[in-house]
Amino acid sequence: MNKKVKSMVKQTEFYVLCIIIAFAVIIQIRSGQFLTSNNLMDLVRSMIVPGIYAICALLSFVSTGADVSFPLIAALSAYVSVVLGNKWNLGVVPIFLIAILLGCLIGCINGFFIVKYRFNSLIVTLGTSSICSGILFGTFEAGRTELPEKLYTVSKVNIATVKNSATGLGSALPSTFVIMVALYVIAYLVLNYTMIGRSVYALGGDEVSAQRAGIAVEKVRFGVFVVNGGIAAIAGLCYAMMSYFYMPNEYAGAEMLVIAAVILGGTRMTGGVGTLRGCLLGTFLLTMVSNSLILFGISVYWEKVVIGAIIIVGTAISAIQARNAGNPFAGKKKKEA
Amino acid sequence: MDKMMKMKKKSLPFDENVRRLFVILVVLLLVTGITKSTAFVNLGNFQSIGKQLTEYGLMSLGMGICMISGGIDLSTVYVANLSGICAGLIFQSSNTGAGVLAGCVVAILVGALCGAFNGMLISCFHIPPMLATLGSYELFMGISVVLSGGSTVSVNGEIELLSSLAILNIPLPFIIFLICTAVLAVIMGRTKFGSRTYLVGTSEKAARFAGIHVKATIIKCYLISGMLAGIAGLISLSRLNSAKADFGTSYTMQTILVAVLGGINPNGGAGKIPGIAFSVIILQVLSSYLNQFPAISNYYRDLIWGAALLLVLVFNVEISRRAAKKKA
Amino acid sequence: MAENMLCVKNIKKSFGGVHALKGVDLTIKKGETHCLAGENGCGKSTIIKVISGFYQPDEGTIEIDGKSYENLTTSDAIAAGIQVIYQDFSIFPNLTVMENLAFNQVLAEKKKFVNKKEFRKIAEEAVKKINFDVDLDARVESLPVADKQLIAISRALLHNAKLIIMDEPTTALTRKEVTRLFDIIAELKKEGMTVLFVSHKLDEVFEISDSITVLRSGENVHSCPIHEMTEEKFTYYMTGRNFDAIPQKEVPDFEGKEPMLKVQDLSAPGFENVSFELHGGEVLGIAGQLGSGRTELSLALYGMLKPYGGTIWIDGSEVKLNSVADAQKMGIALVPEDRLTEGLFLPQPIYKNIAVASMDSLAGKGGFLKESSELELSQGWVEDIGVATKDHTLPVMTLSGGNQQKVVLARCLATNPKVLILNGPTVGVDIGAKYDIHQLLRSLAGQGMAILVVSDDVAEVAALCDRAIIMKGGRVAGELDGADLNDENLYGATV
Repeated sequence: MNKKVKSMVKQTEFYVLCIIIAFAVIIQIRSGQFLTSNNLMDLVRSMIVPGIYAICALLSFVSTGADVSFPLIAALSAYVSVVLGNKWNLGVVPIFLIAILLGCLIGCINGFFIVKYRFNSLIVTLGTSSICSGILFGTFEAGRTELPEKLYTVSKVNIATVKNSATGLGSALPSTFVIMVALYVIAYLVLNYTMIGRSVYALGGDEVSAQRAGIAVEKVRFGVFVVNGGIAAIAGLCYAMMSYFYMPNEYAGAEMLVIAAVILGGTRMTGGVGTLRGCLLGTFLLTMVSNSLILFGISVYWEKVVIGAIIIVGTAISAIQARNAGNPFAGKKKKEA
Repeated sequence: MDKMMKMKKKSLPFDENVRRLFVILVVLLLVTGITKSTAFVNLGNFQSIGKQLTEYGLMSLGMGICMISGGIDLSTVYVANLSGICAGLIFQSSNTGAGVLAGCVVAILVGALCGAFNGMLISCFHIPPMLATLGSYELFMGISVVLSGGSTVSVNGEIELLSSLAILNIPLPFIIFLICTAVLAVIMGRTKFGSRTYLVGTSEKAARFAGIHVKATIIKCYLISGMLAGIAGLISLSRLNSAKADFGTSYTMQTILVAVLGGINPNGGAGKIPGIAFSVIILQVLSSYLNQFPAISNYYRDLIWGAALLLVLVFNVEISRRAAKKKA
Repeated sequence: MAENMLCVKNIKKSFGGVHALKGVDLTIKKGETHCLAGENGCGKSTIIKVISGFYQPDEGTIEIDGKSYENLTTSDAIAAGIQVIYQDFSIFPNLTVMENLAFNQVLAEKKKFVNKKEFRKIAEEAVKKINFDVDLDARVESLPVADKQLIAISRALLHNAKLIIMDEPTTALTRKEVTRLFDIIAELKKEGMTVLFVSHKLDEVFEISDSITVLRSGENVHSCPIHEMTEEKFTYYMTGRNFDAIPQKEVPDFEGKEPMLKVQDLSAPGFENVSFELHGGEVLGIAGQLGSGRTELSLALYGMLKPYGGTIWIDGSEVKLNSVADAQKMGIALVPEDRLTEGLFLPQPIYKNIAVASMDSLAGKGGFLKESSELELSQGWVEDIGVATKDHTLPVMTLSGGNQQKVVLARCLATNPKVLILNGPTVGVDIGAKYDIHQLLRSLAGQGMAILVVSDDVAEVAALCDRAIIMKGGRVAGELDGADLNDENLYGATV
């Protein structure tokens, strides 16, 4: 038991949890508004899309490196499926399928250049992101678009609502929450209980060993980026659903915070290490900070400063920890001969 | 044993990559000149090209230097904005000659400070450059928001001259860009510092053992990048008569594209400064050329640049593969 | 039942015009421990990859346990009982011990799902075979190198291995760990396991193997039972040269002379209370195994490790070495332990590697550095030291290990050091280059340089140094000089 507690404490996730609890307590004391049902529900609601994006970031970091294309893949796939959904009056499932298909296709582009030419994944995904943007705004001239009727109906469905009797403020948890939970459950099962999932981690840990063990390294890596495309597409539709409209300009720029959240949650940039639990914690922390600054008594103007500071401090701590872990000479004496 | 050694001629900062870019530029100019000669080949157009490329051109130079050192600077646009806002606030309060000078100095100083901050995060705290500049860009943007009250900082007055003045018909901003390129090419190609930057970018560990001050080298790189961003911010302020916290967010990606297209290896240790300059000019000429076709909207630029990036990377790989085969 | 576990004949393999193997024979009897020896580039790794099915030979026959194989694939080899343990162990540092042990097997069985219980069962079975006590849930990256190797061995034994091939297994092990490894090999031998052992370490070869095959430049040179091999023959077969022993050095007399380097009660993370003197013209050895503190001592003397106690004097004046720059200013140069990651900028040209530490002196006003001055400096050193290259603008990674080490040496010597520290100067260097480097060091000493050789290779220390200090467990454990400075004494003292 002691061993488990010790190993738990060493992990980054534990620290993040502590910080979350600390923040929560402070905010609650200052405003009394944190632990209210409507605030908590708002928080969870705000986490849905970044949370789904976080799975993409996790998969790419664990196996390869940075992926910054998911917001624009989301935007483009969602647009096409919404437009087609409007045109042909499609149901919810077909719309999602179209989006996922397109997302995966774009993911193939990423996969191709990253696997065949072994280019830096940050650069390739920057290129793909750019291409998606060009197609979305240039070729399609996308603008604010109404959602297809059936999709709109589903988006209005809330699985839970709360109303804070004291303040009269209410909040609702939309159906997209179910999608996020489903994705996380599937991801958890695949990453931990299938050989393909473990191969993703193995490949990120040591590519040569993975090859020697018989893992089809190229196929697995390609698959990761294809899957990322599909997941991003789902996130894109969810975002549109939660806004009740499709708005193309809202997507770009989301990647940086998602990456920060995932790293804060313990994912290593060098690969091989990272958990879904950490992603959720990291996303929750950053969402909490952006949403709750007002409750903290800090003007919204300072939001970015605070987030920037958290990212810097968080990554500094994680970097120092990583150095101490990998360097046996750091302050220790080696005794045996 | 054969002791004949190949003595390399004094090498210009032009390697294969740069020569290729130069050829592309010439071809491009010819094509544009021929196909749209009246609209394209005129002084006004070239002047506008020169003016528009300066801001992200300067930032690309900074990005290139950081990449050579083995890192990346995602905060460059926001440093530019912050510098612009600081200078703008000073211009707002005093419109005298001294005020203008003070504003310019402040802009560059702010840029340098931000750059040094980045450098310290990376070298002293060992935060990976991508994450460090990700955090710092939020920070800089946040400070910009606070200082500007969340709104645009507008200026009028002498500062406008910076972007509107032309010497011998060449726009001043472009001259500044050329001067910066030349200075940086000399620094990176012919000084100890430049040589050391390439080595640090190749292997930080080996650099340490060789006695190179890795920390100082990295901080200097980001400091230079910050200063370049500061100048860019100043020019932007001058051109648009305003500065705001979230201006030019797409520039970050553009500068990375430009640097990589210009031959800088994103893993560090390779690439030449003139390559970046050629790459910027090519892209701006291309962009301006496309403007002549009203059917191609501005947004297509993103598509073309994204595709161009991937294609150029592939092209470079194929060329080196073919060259290696020939040698074998 | 075949007498031979492995019999390969006339194996030829080329890679795009480079003949890696020109017709190699290798015969290993069942149950024997066979050593495969040869310099870098002799074809050792290639023949192993052919035997394990990773490469297909262009010509030749392969017979494993009496059965002939036309096109041996890796799965065929594994099924036939061949297991290779590479130098890097092929482990996944980010996964647990349990997963590392079970992964390959479950993958080979083409299973799609992960059954944690099954993994654990497989893992437990594996470690039992060699009585390896380890925490199955620990992440492998947190374990010491020796444990990682044992994981690799346990994993290899899972597959009903009949022939285990180990590629340079003792490179990163302490003496104690090597003993443990050899005990395990002895146990395996008792159970009838055949072992192919790639090594260049003479003493280990003699200790563990039953017979030996020496390769050179892709061809067989000699094979024989180990009792027919001697050290001179070994060296001769490996290099094709006869080396005159380096003339017996007279122990120089430094009575009354100021030491070039003096260390008093120096302590830093890794070692404690080390004191010694080194005179100009003297070659002093610091002998010790991995973990003895010898590397940390070399780093502390180069400004890379801050001491928390003690004093250092260079040429009579007390100095504080807080950075590499400080050390270089004081005239200290270090040839690092790992030349690939610490000593060289692999993709950079040879001349840049040589000039890197001299930039300050080559540069003019304002920090301007002329490339021609770097080229000139480099050319001089390449000729003086004898780096085998026709074009020093080529990347240094195109050179062989020995020549790369000479480049690192050139870079150090270019700074005109008073004290030259070398950590493991001939690790991974062929015997020919090793001899050259030793000659060079002795001649430098003859010219008055103070030389400190830090090494775990007792033969090297004995042959090269005038005097040796032994380090063990972070402390000075003894000193040997004159006639007492020989292999046996050193070996006994460092263990």
